Amino acid sequence: MPFVPVLHAEWIKIRTLRSQLGGLAAMFVTIAGLSPLAAVDADSDPLFSVYFGISFGQIAAIAFGTTAVSSEYRDGALRLTLTAVPDRGRWFAAKTTAIALPVLAVGLLTGFVSLLVGRAALGASAPGWAEGVRGAVGCGVHLTLMALFAAGVAAVLRSGVATLSVLIPFLLIVSFVIGDFSGSVADYLPDRAGQVALHSDWGGALGPWSGLGVTALWTAAVLAAGAWGVRRRDA
Amino acid sequence: MTSIDVRDLTKEYGGRRAVDGLTFSVRPGRVTGFLGPNGAGKSTTFRLVLGLDRPTAGTATLGGDAYARLREPLRRVGALLDARAAHGSRTARGHLLALAASNRIPARRVDTVLEETGLAAVARQRVRTYSLGMRQRLGIAAALLGDPEVILLDEPANGLDPEGIVWIRTLLRRLAAEGRTVLVSSHLMGETAAFADHLLILGRGRLLADTPVRDFIHARVRPQVRVRTTDPAALADLLARHGHDASCEEDGAWTVRHTRVDVLGRLLSEAGVPVLELSAREATLEEAYLDLTASEAEFTAPRQEA
Repeated sequence: MPFVPVLHAEWIKIRTLRSQLGGLAAMFVTIAGLSPLAAVDADSDPLFSVYFGISFGQIAAIAFGTTAVSSEYRDGALRLTLTAVPDRGRWFAAKTTAIALPVLAVGLLTGFVSLLVGRAALGASAPGWAEGVRGAVGCGVHLTLMALFAAGVAAVLRSGVATLSVLIPFLLIVSFVIGDFSGSVADYLPDRAGQVALHSDWGGALGPWSGLGVTALWTAAVLAAGAWGVRRRDA
Repeated sequence: MTSIDVRDLTKEYGGRRAVDGLTFSVRPGRVTGFLGPNGAGKSTTFRLVLGLDRPTAGTATLGGDAYARLREPLRRVGALLDARAAHGSRTARGHLLALAASNRIPARRVDTVLEETGLAAVARQRVRTYSLGMRQRLGIAAALLGDPEVILLDEPANGLDPEGIVWIRTLLRRLAAEGRTVLVSSHLMGETAAFADHLLILGRGRLLADTPVRDFIHARVRPQVRVRTTDPAALADLLARHGHDASCEEDGAWTVRHTRVDVLGRLLSEAGVPVLELSAREATLEEAYLDLTASEAEFTAPRQEA
């Protein structure tokens, strides 16, 4: 079966669910909406103060990726999907592409709008253009990787509730708490590593691009596990 | 012409055989009823035919190909497995558009099948607002989307109102008359006999019967006739003389076993017994089916001590 019609079908599934469109909107609102507050905490990292909302925005990205996959695992929806597209590897590739492209587009838009707003709010202490553009691109890429990470977990666990009850506490508690001990193994957690790209300064071993690389490896591993499950298990 | 061919199909779940060495063919141009009590393995067989579950042993093919090898399968095979499969937050139209896009089926087919299943007026409402019967119609619409030669419907009459039952009966007859291969599962014999030409009866994963409906009725159904008369004494005398096994019901009518209306009607007429009512008892079809499956049914209640 050709790939593009399958991708088209998966995109229709996303755009016909209001909760999915709401997830994309929430990503934009939580990050770009908080960027005017960049000036409030003048001591903090100038670039990260622009992207302060990423902690909440990535939850929206995770919810988006989770919902897109978990909606297939309720009431026999996947069976209907796979009768239309029996090539499961191709289907999962189309599903993840249909998740990645809108998140990347909205994530980049969010990144650049936040940068412009944040620079205006910070005035003289604003981050420079070079690191600003790196931050905006990093914002789009990091959100995309988080959405795909969640999609992979959802394909492994085959449940939206299970996926969110693993990932949200993980992001809010584990990563927040042990994230304070910078320079530790916590730097290599999927959500922490990618966020290095949103900082002006970083103390750990990971730089902006190597950080995104680490997150990409996490995502690739989880997607591979999800793809394996989709291909091997009875639907 | 595409037929469904199942050969030695077996599926085990943790040592339990849901489907046990099934072999049958479903031919085009007729409606094949797939009957069996709940848990007999009908839905599992459907999933195996559609390549959704992996068989433990055996094969299932459509026109010689495994389902998973079909290109754009909705154009060749349409299936209804679970009426709840459509997401409640989508509209019926959105649901069908996504399915159509994956197999490059033009969007106008979506409107055609919505029209055909009587959902055109509610096509832009969310599926969450639908009754079970409307969801069944949407599931059937999805099955018809690619104008397929092979149609598999798992319990399509579930939740349909009487008007809907008549509609599905007519639809199935028409699809078969157009030369398509139609396989329809049900756990109700009476319902199935109303539209099927051929029966496959399943019990505990095994095939119990593979027979034309007419042959099944002739071979299995012990016919009964219900008679009412103004002269019970003459009737009782006549039945006794001809050795008929008969009994009088509470409402004054007589039930005569192991005979048919054409036999008994002639007899009554020749003897001059006045007749108020003479009718065949249809319930016996269901009884014959229950006889066949009772010993095999997995979830029959334990027999009550008398």
